[in-house]
Amino acid sequence: MNALVLQIGLVVLVLSVSAWVALSVVLVVGRLRYERRRSLAPRQLRRRTARRLVRRVEATPRTEWGRWRRVSALQRLERDHHPAVPRLIRRVLKDADQGIAAAAIRTLGDIGDDWAVELLVDALRLGLGPRSRAAAELEHLAPAPGPQLVQLLRDWNPAVRFWGAALLGAYPGLGDSTLITLTWDADPNVRAAAVETLGTRSGSEVGAALLARLDDSEWFVRVHAARAAGHVLGAEAAPSTTRLLADERWWVRTAAKDALRGMGVDAIPALLSVLGHEDVFARNGAAEILQDIGFVDFLALDDPKSPLLARIYAAGGDRLREAAEARIESLAAADDVRAA
Amino acid sequence: MIEQLLQVVVLSCFAYLLVVNGVAIAFLVIGAVENAVRKHEEDSADYGTLAASRFTIPVSIIVAAYNEAKVIESTVESFLGFDYPEFEVVVVNDGSTDDTLERLCESFELQPYEVFVRHVFPSRPVRTIYRSTSHPNLVVVDKENGGKADSWNAALNVARFRYVCGVDADTVFDPKALLKVMRFPMNDPARIIGVTSQIATAREPEHVLAMPPGRRRVEGGLLALYQHLDFLRAFLNNRLAWSKFGFMMCSPGGFQIWRRDVLEEVGGYSTAFTCEDIELTFRIHDKFRREGRDYVIHCLPDSVGVTEGPDDIAKLVSQRERWQRVINETVVHYRRMWFNPRYGSVGMVGAPFYLVTEVLSPLVELLALASLVAAVALGLFELDVFLVVVAAMAFVNAALTAGAILLDDVQSRLYRVRDLVRLLLWSPFDLVLYRPIITWARVKGTWGYLRGDKSWYRFERNIRVEN
Repeated sequence: MNALVLQIGLVVLVLSVSAWVALSVVLVVGRLRYERRRSLAPRQLRRRTARRLVRRVEATPRTEWGRWRRVSALQRLERDHHPAVPRLIRRVLKDADQGIAAAAIRTLGDIGDDWAVELLVDALRLGLGPRSRAAAELEHLAPAPGPQLVQLLRDWNPAVRFWGAALLGAYPGLGDSTLITLTWDADPNVRAAAVETLGTRSGSEVGAALLARLDDSEWFVRVHAARAAGHVLGAEAAPSTTRLLADERWWVRTAAKDALRGMGVDAIPALLSVLGHEDVFARNGAAEILQDIGFVDFLALDDPKSPLLARIYAAGGDRLREAAEARIESLAAADDVRAA
Repeated sequence: MIEQLLQVVVLSCFAYLLVVNGVAIAFLVIGAVENAVRKHEEDSADYGTLAASRFTIPVSIIVAAYNEAKVIESTVESFLGFDYPEFEVVVVNDGSTDDTLERLCESFELQPYEVFVRHVFPSRPVRTIYRSTSHPNLVVVDKENGGKADSWNAALNVARFRYVCGVDADTVFDPKALLKVMRFPMNDPARIIGVTSQIATAREPEHVLAMPPGRRRVEGGLLALYQHLDFLRAFLNNRLAWSKFGFMMCSPGGFQIWRRDVLEEVGGYSTAFTCEDIELTFRIHDKFRREGRDYVIHCLPDSVGVTEGPDDIAKLVSQRERWQRVINETVVHYRRMWFNPRYGSVGMVGAPFYLVTEVLSPLVELLALASLVAAVALGLFELDVFLVVVAAMAFVNAALTAGAILLDDVQSRLYRVRDLVRLLLWSPFDLVLYRPIITWARVKGTWGYLRGDKSWYRFERNIRVEN
């Protein structure tokens, strides 16, 4: 057995030492070369190198590794402002691999010229690459893409209408009437995006459209509607929004709480009317918002025996009272320190 | 008779080593290709646009803190410093007996507030919820002690966003960590249910993370150096290949991102196991594979954060002993996956890989060591044969380690050249200087598992505490 084990051991030893040495040399030499390259200023591509890179982008590699080399070649040509880039980028954009197409989208975002914006809108419309990445680049390039985004609102594809509506958030006044129409779209995602974007607008028509969507059949549309109505209508939306504190979906209640919190003291009358609500979460929610906007602390400092405060404590429970008392105590302690 | 038995045992151990190292080499080659692809992908990432975009998916960062008074301020500052458009940080003080909560209250101007939440995930009772007046996106939950899994469940009840990032309270992160990992779910939120990444170890994580790329040092003595190599091998030699073929079996607790609805479906983190991370990953694979669902758990090669590693042998043994116990608990619990084609690559490669290389390896290593020593003592092996075998094993290990260092450097270019050379030169001695400690810890862990030990040892904090 000694001989057999010795033979196997020696073979493995020679192979492993060779591999260790080879990998170590590759690592150190590779790193030193990288450091050297980094210290040199970027050079203009030689014509021969450029032709080779163009050929690489034009090819259709089968492996993932080959596809990414194709992207690297495209990016190198783009850095060199090579004239073939607009033609080549169209090819890469059509790659079935979403990651590769996303890299092409990023390159278009870097270029940012009119033709690049046009291509990005096409990518969004035709689903070339992840639509979310095309949208992020278009958002980054605002305001240039604005006029081209309105046409997306009328696309047959709900995914395109969704992104069109979402992107218009950065363009006040653009496509408002179509957005209002889209709050009645058959696709709930489109309704949600339209509602969210209308939250950045103003006007009575917008407000009416948003209030109507507080009763949408889809919970996530109601979530966006609660937040948007709060932004657009302020306290005017409070009575309708407080209804959502008793919604069947938890996330709608949470959004309603956020919206009412954002309205500040203007929401107090509407919130007080919910303190006796039959739904325990609605009562809790109202008490929590009154606490968050400082009304509980105000009452506790001003009139600790106030019946109104007692009602809020009854709705919020002992822990809400204890938390308020602890805050008041720390405030008093801070005042003492300041006075000293 | 004894000699024949010894021969069989020794040859069986050699066969085991050949198989395990053969698989490791295969995984390294696959990992190298995946690493190259990820490198190109990373070069194409547009963090500037993502960081400013409204379409970036918001994330809830959940942190469990138990007696972390010495580090909690700096780590929470690190979480709050993420370069990411919308996120919240939910820190759970898990009934600490030191002044973790007081430090948090003081540093982040916390005030108690009543917050009504749904109790979707089971957890020990919450005492108080605090909001920060200086950082609106920070929430601190003070609760009765229940362990890390219980704390993360409590944090999940408070968390508001669709993706949840579980992190350790002793880890500091690259400000771009969230952008780096969340760019994948942004491209494919329907399929990507989880993402994880590499974490480096150091004695002083804040100091190391502050060093610019290319200038980073591998700090500490030999123990720190070998732990560094151990992490590199684990992530780059194995996990990239696992991720590539859809059997990423462990999202480590130091940094893991999950889609919240997935956590709701599987019932959150389990408190029935010694540790929560690997068990949750197995449970998610179990459910999704049985239901035939299309999903991805992605692993990045980048190191997104630095955590504190044990700085003496006793602490290291305790840590690795616990890791061994939880691996045994999980792999044995999910034994229905072993070699089960119904689970695809998870059942045919992932779970068996864990069984062979993690659960059985301490026993095989112990047996190999004992039988080799006995074989030499009985004259069955000559000493020079023994030395050749040990040298061969050391250099196989060193070559695999050199592969991992190479992949890491190609990906990140973080460490100084002289530190890379130092890592390379020490790698052949891993087998004799570091591996015996780990084997001992794993044997202890296996024994603890057999005894039903579920304790959770936390090592004392290192030098950064005093600075």
